[in-house]
Amino acid sequence: MATTSKNMNVFYRQKKNSSASTGKKSTKSPSPKHAATFGSDITQPPALVSHGDDFDEQEQVLRQFDMNMAYGPCVGITRLDRWERAQRMGLNPPKEIESLLRGGKVKLESLFDGRV
Amino acid sequence: MEVDSQEQLQRKQSTYLSLDENFEIQKEVYRGQQYSQIYFARLHMMRTLLYSLVPNWKSHLPVCTVLELKEGKECIIFGTLYKHMKLKPCILDEYSKERSVAPLIKPHNFMHQDDYLVLEDESGRVKLGGTKLSPSVYVTGVVVALHGKETSAGAFFVEDVLEAGLPPQIKRPLKSREDKYVVFVSGLSIGRSSSNPLQFQLLVDHITGHLGDEEEQGLAAEIVHLVIVGNSVEISRGLLNGQNLASKDQSRLCEPFKELDILLTQIAASLPLDIMPGSSDPANFALPQQPLNRCLFPGSTTYNTFRSCTNPHCFELDSIRFLGTSGQNIDDLTKYSEAKDKLDFLERTLRWRHLAPTAPNTLGCYPFTDRDPFLIDSCPDVYFVGNQEKYETCLLKGLEGQLVRLICIPRFCETGVAVVLNMRNLECHALTFGTQISS
Repeated sequence: MATTSKNMNVFYRQKKNSSASTGKKSTKSPSPKHAATFGSDITQPPALVSHGDDFDEQEQVLRQFDMNMAYGPCVGITRLDRWERAQRMGLNPPKEIESLLRGGKVKLESLFDGRV
Repeated sequence: MEVDSQEQLQRKQSTYLSLDENFEIQKEVYRGQQYSQIYFARLHMMRTLLYSLVPNWKSHLPVCTVLELKEGKECIIFGTLYKHMKLKPCILDEYSKERSVAPLIKPHNFMHQDDYLVLEDESGRVKLGGTKLSPSVYVTGVVVALHGKETSAGAFFVEDVLEAGLPPQIKRPLKSREDKYVVFVSGLSIGRSSSNPLQFQLLVDHITGHLGDEEEQGLAAEIVHLVIVGNSVEISRGLLNGQNLASKDQSRLCEPFKELDILLTQIAASLPLDIMPGSSDPANFALPQQPLNRCLFPGSTTYNTFRSCTNPHCFELDSIRFLGTSGQNIDDLTKYSEAKDKLDFLERTLRWRHLAPTAPNTLGCYPFTDRDPFLIDSCPDVYFVGNQEKYETCLLKGLEGQLVRLICIPRFCETGVAVVLNMRNLECHALTFGTQISS
């Protein structure tokens, strides 16, 4: 997939301004294991960064939710279903995600939808 | 001899409760999900369970994930086992340039001495070493807890294994019961050229009380339920090769069902019966197999005693819990591991608390997203498997006082043997029907 970003700074943005990062998983070694989709060797998984389509803080939060391993794989399941599954399993997913998803202005499919 | 005797024999009855909801897939929606979802559900459920068992096992050791392993640090890890098998058929073999590697004749069992086990969780996987965990016993899909440490070679040396063990069992009420029998039969294979219709007719006549004197009929009146455990029909291969069928062949296709329906109507008129699909029945291929369509049994479905059930099948009779399959799960274990007999495989599935650990790896399975329906969370009183070579049974005792009757039901078409279980004391015996006239 060719990169047609307006500015390459977006492509190489560092992760520090995302506050919804998975704090409880910081003990794990942070390998960029999902970099396979775009094959770039940057520090941050490129799937989290947009390529031309605009995204906002809400989408960033939802993408962090998608990437969080504790709630299981995100491919092939809608975000709301995944949230409800995590809730049923007793994993205590953050309530903000649920309210965002039910709010209706966000993408209901995971970030890999249509790309994998 | 009086034709109409004064007292009519009444058949005994028992209360039936179906617990097949877990195995039904009508409500499931396929959205393109892959099998990672069902593996995640399985790992999560089993890990939560194993985590609660760890304090009783080795409370002093830390728990960590695979990626957090450090060389020499003794710890406990949880994960799903994956067995790398050299001889396991792989779709890529068809595309490989060298054709001489894989044998043309498929072996019945794919084990090899070079097989090794790998443990996998969400963070990563690690090869397992040591002799505690034998690759001939375990299969892909079993979730375990392992105690050990990482070696310099990057493998995990296993010092001890924790399996989930038998699930807790709901205690049956101890009131003194009368003798009530449940009959299991499997592998009728009606439609096979070698099947003998007289054998099954004899079974039907015996159960419905049309055979024997009053004492025999009295025994038959104590049979409260019949379970047909899969492979009731066999459609000849020639009709299934994808060609358009002539009308003559179409009627040949339906004959086994008509024959089966006639016999099942006789049974359903007399006592409750459950019929489960098997690998040769016209049901879906992937587990859990859905109930055979009622249109196949126009005569029997008019009776409310006739029940078409899923495979696996779980039900309660007088609060005794029965759980069983038509054999695909055990047959798959036979292909990918070894044991001294089939009862051993049954016991292992109970100790792993999973009916079919090799699903979806080598056994067809529906891609559930939010649960794994094959997890056994309550220990059954009777655990059966159909379509096996011979009749075998044993009583399994658990550490917390669980008592399970394990039964391997043989193929009726080949052996003429049905299995009878007494619900009062969980004793089992075989009922053999022969049609040879000795000269």
